[in-house]
Amino acid sequence: MAAAEHAAAASGADALDAYPLMVGKQDNTTLTGNLLAHVWARPDKGWLLSFMIALSGSGALVLAITVTLVEGIGAWGNNIPVGWAFDITNFVWWIGIGHAGTLISAILFLFQQRWRTAINRFSEAMTIFAVMCAGLFPLLHTGRPWFAYFMFPYPSTLEMWPQFKSPLIWDVFAVSTYFTVSVLFWYLGLIPDLASLRDASKSPIQRKLYGIFALGWRGSGRHWHNYKVGYLLLAGLSTPLVVSVHTIVSFDFAVSLIPGWHTTIFPPYFVAGAVFSGFAMVMSWMVPARHFLGLKHVITMRHLENMNKIILATGMLVSYGYLMEHFIAWYSGNQFEWFVFFNRATGPYKGVYYLMLFCNVLVPQLFWFKYFRTSIPWMFIASIFVNIGMWCERFVIIVTSLHRDFLPAAWDMYYPTWVDITLFLGTIGFFSTCFLLFLKFIPAVAVSEVKELNEELQHRPAPVTVVTGA
Amino acid sequence: MVEVGPTTITQDRLKPGGKTFSIAVGVGVVGLLLTAVGYAVGGADRPSILAGYLVAFAYWLGIAIAASIWNAIFHAAAARWMTVFRRVFESMGAAIPIFILLFLPIALGMPVLFPWVNPSNRMSHEQLHLLQHKALWLNVPGFLLRAAVYFAIWVVVNQLLRGWSLRQDREGGLEPTRRMRRYGSGALPFLGLSITFAAFDWLMSVDPFWFSTIFGAYYFTGSFLSCIALLTVITVLTRHEQRLFGGLVTRHHTHNLGKLMLAFTAFWTYIAFSQFMLIWIANIPEEASWYVVRMKGGWQSVGIFLIVTHFIIPFFTLLSRGLKFNPRGLAFVAVWILVVHWVDLNWLVFPALHPEGFYFHWTAITSMLGVGGFAIAFARWRAAGHFTLPVKDPYLADSLRYQQA
Repeated sequence: MAAAEHAAAASGADALDAYPLMVGKQDNTTLTGNLLAHVWARPDKGWLLSFMIALSGSGALVLAITVTLVEGIGAWGNNIPVGWAFDITNFVWWIGIGHAGTLISAILFLFQQRWRTAINRFSEAMTIFAVMCAGLFPLLHTGRPWFAYFMFPYPSTLEMWPQFKSPLIWDVFAVSTYFTVSVLFWYLGLIPDLASLRDASKSPIQRKLYGIFALGWRGSGRHWHNYKVGYLLLAGLSTPLVVSVHTIVSFDFAVSLIPGWHTTIFPPYFVAGAVFSGFAMVMSWMVPARHFLGLKHVITMRHLENMNKIILATGMLVSYGYLMEHFIAWYSGNQFEWFVFFNRATGPYKGVYYLMLFCNVLVPQLFWFKYFRTSIPWMFIASIFVNIGMWCERFVIIVTSLHRDFLPAAWDMYYPTWVDITLFLGTIGFFSTCFLLFLKFIPAVAVSEVKELNEELQHRPAPVTVVTGA
Repeated sequence: MVEVGPTTITQDRLKPGGKTFSIAVGVGVVGLLLTAVGYAVGGADRPSILAGYLVAFAYWLGIAIAASIWNAIFHAAAARWMTVFRRVFESMGAAIPIFILLFLPIALGMPVLFPWVNPSNRMSHEQLHLLQHKALWLNVPGFLLRAAVYFAIWVVVNQLLRGWSLRQDREGGLEPTRRMRRYGSGALPFLGLSITFAAFDWLMSVDPFWFSTIFGAYYFTGSFLSCIALLTVITVLTRHEQRLFGGLVTRHHTHNLGKLMLAFTAFWTYIAFSQFMLIWIANIPEEASWYVVRMKGGWQSVGIFLIVTHFIIPFFTLLSRGLKFNPRGLAFVAVWILVVHWVDLNWLVFPALHPEGFYFHWTAITSMLGVGGFAIAFARWRAAGHFTLPVKDPYLADSLRYQQA
């Protein structure tokens, strides 16, 4: 047996990861200091200006809601045959944006992806605010939101009972459960950091306030043990939840008989689209935030590149969904199904359709190249395009499938009114308002998790020597 | 942190021949011979015998493609923990060329297997009209040409990834890893599309009137799951071979395999439920007919059997952490999954041929054994003379010392 001997070059392996997970040598003190710094700093002009703009947007939202409530949903452009339009488009878009947060915080946690620690807090906060924006639209679309409690099954003297065969009712349960679990998961992760804030507070009021929310966290071994178990369980619970939410959103369409809506690929294709748009939204905020909050040493190019890879992967899944829809629409030999796709490409809304294809199919292809994956301006621009593209996708699915149905005599066009547009822009304002407040009062990065990662990064496995036999 | 795992390991090359190879060849020859005999005397059962062969073909080839896809995914994700398993994925994928030979009975039997080749007089006017429309896709030259393209993709991808991996065994260095990551990522769209359209061509077109956009995902999810199940079985069987990969696999690795099986059991259920529920609730005749056949007679029992054995039992057993740490228990569940995946593929194909009720022919089993025997023997033959793990992979140390957080 001729034995050759050599050592597996464990030390050289890091050469393949061009960007580190953390820049510079950090210890617990410096990390606590520089990751909490943006909370203690006085708001600067940039933050105040953005906050003012966002707050104006929220004001516009209040105005649009008021008009909708006073005038009824006749203030919107929806009318038969287009019964769903901007409202449901915005609902699906916002819900989808929330999905990145849960994917990063729960699914990447289960996959033991260490790079998630620096970005999970940030994107989970987006989940919560996005779901709040999303919930608004179906609520308003009920027409009489003050009767929304009718949707819950309760023993009522009116003998009202929800229609459990309707996916709209499944939505009520899916979205409210998702929101609850997301808030709990986010809050649980926050507790150690709130305690750090409490301990570092300079004024008694701050100490009291952060102290209340820290729930008496002392960082004892038992606290950490319970925390870890709880975190793992919530991650396990969130994973099926996040898949179920967008699946049920897709059921809103797919259970129907409407060509363009009824197709079996919808559930996984919607979930992929949700993650796709969610990551794009995280990217759009992450790029400026890491710059202005001084987080470049913990949110490195490695994180950004990984996120771009996920945008590419989910973008390819969305494109796969498009291909399946179009192929089967032809293969089925169903002329109504085929007409929907023909009409999308040649009908009056074809501009939105081609914009969708450009943003969702072509733009992510840039990320095959390392240059684009690691170029800050390019990834920012691409993420904006993806946000636009995914909004267009929902508009195309919803409006173009409805506006020309089986009966040509019933065909009609949909145009949004100023209320529709203000409502949509208003939710962007509201989302931004919440998000800017979050960045001001809560550490944008999970400090305790980053400290743990810092410890782990100090450790490299010892090399293994392989002796090769015959 | 305490250092775990060995600092020096000894690895042998896999010896040619051996018990596995001889048994697999024997089973393969006997299986296919019996199937051929069955076909010769089959008479009216011939289409069903060929369909049983098609199922066996799709079953084993699906696993081999899934292995290539897993390998490509792990390269794209720059995963480290699975380095110890990588050569097994590569070897499973290396079985693909034998399927070109095994495709011959399907290519020759097309007129018997696929109703769209020679539309019969018993079809309605509307059905004939539909087939005329579909003829642009469903035609013999197109079918064969596409099969050639699919095989070309699978063979090339596997040759590239495996070739660079074996080259790293000889020369070491980081360049092969860099290449494999690049090719692995780039191969994924091709692999995903080819397995989807192969599922459309080979399995869905057995009933040429039915269509489902999720069907490709259904086939590859089942194949993904079975591939991990087969890997688990191989790992557990070789866990005492100190000088091969199996001896280096720790409970942390097998725990991950258990988690992947759990995840894909759930995902298979998700895909199957999505397809069923959407078609059932919309109840459009052109789609629902597929389930109508499968919801009566003996086929209904098979459907319920699948819900219980392909979802409820593996899902709830795999939830247990203790089971995932127990190699024998885990291997048992893996074998279980491998069996029910076969039932699942039969359930996809046979009701199209026997809408009147449950049907079973003994050659379905001999086909499974025959195709499986040849596939395993071929993979074993190609693996011989190489190491069973990538000995100079830069991440081998990370993989061998891998621990759950």
